[in-house]
Amino acid sequence: MEPTAARADPAVLERLRERIRTLQAAPRQLLSVLRTGLPPVDCLLPGGGFPLGQVVELWGEPASGRTRLAFRAIAEAHRALRLAAWVDGPRTLYTPALPSLGVRLEQLLVVRPPESRQLAWSALQLLRSGAFAAVGLDLTRTDVRLSPPESRRLVEAASRSGGLLLLLTPSEAPADGTLRLHVSAAGPRAMRLEVVRSRQGSASRTIEVPWELLTPGGPSDAAAGSHGLDAPPVPMPPSTPFRRVRACTLRDGLVGIQGQRPGRDLPLPSFAPSLGVGS
Amino acid sequence: MSHRIVYVHLPRFPVQRRVLEEPGLAAQPLALVHETKGALRVAFASGTAQRDGVRAGMTLTAARALLPALRDAPYDAAAEMQALSSVAEGFLRFTPAFMLSAPDGVWLDASAGSLFGGEAGLVEKVDAQARAAGYRARVVLASELFTARALARNGAATRACVAPGGSERALAALPLQALEEAPEVVASLRALGLSTLGELSVLQPTQVISRLGAEGLRAQGLVRGQDPARLLPAVLPEVVEEVRTLDAPAESLEPLLFALKATLDRLSARLRGRQRAAVRLTLTLVLEPAGPHPVPLALARPTTDPKLLLNLIRHRLESVRLDAPVATLILTVDESCEDHGQQGVLGDAPAGDAALETVLARLATALGPEALGSPVLADDHRPEAAHAPGPFRPPRREPGMFAEARRSPPAALPVPDWQLERPVRLLSGEGEPMEVELDALGALRSARVLGKRRRVLAVAGPERIGGQWWTESPFQRDYYRVHLEGLGPAWVYRRAGEGEFYLHGLFD
Repeated sequence: MEPTAARADPAVLERLRERIRTLQAAPRQLLSVLRTGLPPVDCLLPGGGFPLGQVVELWGEPASGRTRLAFRAIAEAHRALRLAAWVDGPRTLYTPALPSLGVRLEQLLVVRPPESRQLAWSALQLLRSGAFAAVGLDLTRTDVRLSPPESRRLVEAASRSGGLLLLLTPSEAPADGTLRLHVSAAGPRAMRLEVVRSRQGSASRTIEVPWELLTPGGPSDAAAGSHGLDAPPVPMPPSTPFRRVRACTLRDGLVGIQGQRPGRDLPLPSFAPSLGVGS
Repeated sequence: MSHRIVYVHLPRFPVQRRVLEEPGLAAQPLALVHETKGALRVAFASGTAQRDGVRAGMTLTAARALLPALRDAPYDAAAEMQALSSVAEGFLRFTPAFMLSAPDGVWLDASAGSLFGGEAGLVEKVDAQARAAGYRARVVLASELFTARALARNGAATRACVAPGGSERALAALPLQALEEAPEVVASLRALGLSTLGELSVLQPTQVISRLGAEGLRAQGLVRGQDPARLLPAVLPEVVEEVRTLDAPAESLEPLLFALKATLDRLSARLRGRQRAAVRLTLTLVLEPAGPHPVPLALARPTTDPKLLLNLIRHRLESVRLDAPVATLILTVDESCEDHGQQGVLGDAPAGDAALETVLARLATALGPEALGSPVLADDHRPEAAHAPGPFRPPRREPGMFAEARRSPPAALPVPDWQLERPVRLLSGEGEPMEVELDALGALRSARVLGKRRRVLAVAGPERIGGQWWTESPFQRDYYRVHLEGLGPAWVYRRAGEGEFYLHGLFD
């Protein structure tokens, strides 16, 4: 019988075990890209999202919206009950902001290596394990520059494991991502996204995404001007420092309705008329 | 209710153990020798050596004369006892207690047999456990210690269950040498022409006591199934520790890892027997002559998997530089936790779980356990104290082949309003003081951020965050979202009563 024959041949068993291991380690075909959930961005990307099995480089200034874009893709992985990891080079990741992007904190592993030379190694280990659908490697404000062999190893690891590496690089030191997006601020209303490098087309295409789209339900500053405060600007002498106090403070009885302090900002009112003396 | 006992006989246990640790010795003539009466004598001989006439008690010189190719190794009774105890601990999955029977057997309390498919199921499982550990075993379940051991050591079957009250009949066919406790009685019975235990059993007790005395009567009681001895549970050592002395000091990684593999197998079996999983271990390498060199191992996830542990140790040792060869290695479990195990079903991906645990443990070992974790929100008004690292314990996926198809998408978690206005990057501590330029009206005109002076394009806010007023260090800050030229929105605050601005975060 066939099972008996297979039992008798350890080589066949070993081949079958190897095949099972390969199948188990292979990426799920159901998930081939991680969408950001932002229609303009997903339309810009060649596969309709960040492709799994590749290194996607988000290159730009540290306040250009790259991190939120990356975490929107990670949120998609979490919705599919997959795990994600974030190698936090600058140690500035503020996790209370992540649930609003759809990230599930219990499915997110944050790695903060004590030495910067361990950043790329940590990301490589996480990718090679195949246990994480997306791995973020944040090199912003670090002295790490990926060498060509390191970049090649990361690309190979992503390709073999089927995981997505989101590589956040500073504007002065781009790396070697398979898909490179330049992210920058386009004023107070929007961020700009440009496909700098892509093997699947869309290169040189640029879009602008309103800031408020990045955080669903978040605040919009589109209407804010250079004085977009909750109280109108108050005329003050040039020496007065920046003053913006809440309305409740303005009307607490100690100061005037416009924040003026009797005797200092304005002359004290004269008591002469009420006392019946000459002005 | 009668006590039920399982005896596990591991024939020539010290030789089996030696071969397990050095597979190259398999099928080789091997003798374990110790010094007795001023000469090196054979304590145990392998089956191959026995076929050529080598016997226990023979001097090594005589054994070599019989078999020049005989290989020998020292026999350490205390170490063998310790090793036997380690093997016995592995059986604790099936029994509440065990008692050692040196040098090659162990009695197990069979009172939990009903949990393993009855007594026959228990015997089968114990046998399978011994084989999984690499040992040949003979397992017998009976009501008396003597019956179980005599049948396991001298019986024909490798697995047997003796029903209550059936001991006398089961023992009847065994040769007299099964009465190991009373060699004088055996010699006397042989002189009388008896050869089996059954022949002793049918004798009249009065005849036995008149010819063989009280010792003979006690021996007859044993073969009649009247053994008064009871199982005395062995006391488990508090610390799970395995010691392995290398035959020759190891100067490279390979022989060390080879020795570690067998040691980890034993350690894991002990932990599984106790239903514990290792959380922290220490591998102490005793260097010759430098002394002990401890290598701590912290695991991100508790485990008993010897392969996983060996991988971690290999990775850890690659970064360790030793000044002298390793003579002995000691593995100590410093911290363990209850191991509930996991029920696997068809379609599960154990390789995936192992991969996750491997990478977590590897990172924890290389970077330190504090370098990785899952973020946890803290109940604090200060933004910089509102989160902390916690252990990474992702929810386990529903097992099974069709779990993915069955699952429903998780519901969106409610997010409080304040979280919508938080930046994804927060500078350390209370932020960095920011050099700003104000216009004549007191409005922000420009600010020096990330090494550049940048024009302010828009300002939104403030959001006042205050608290700790009930302590000696209250705080009150007005936060603004400031759009800067060439950058994006920054999270800037000014303390109440102060004019200085601080950059606290970036809406990256």
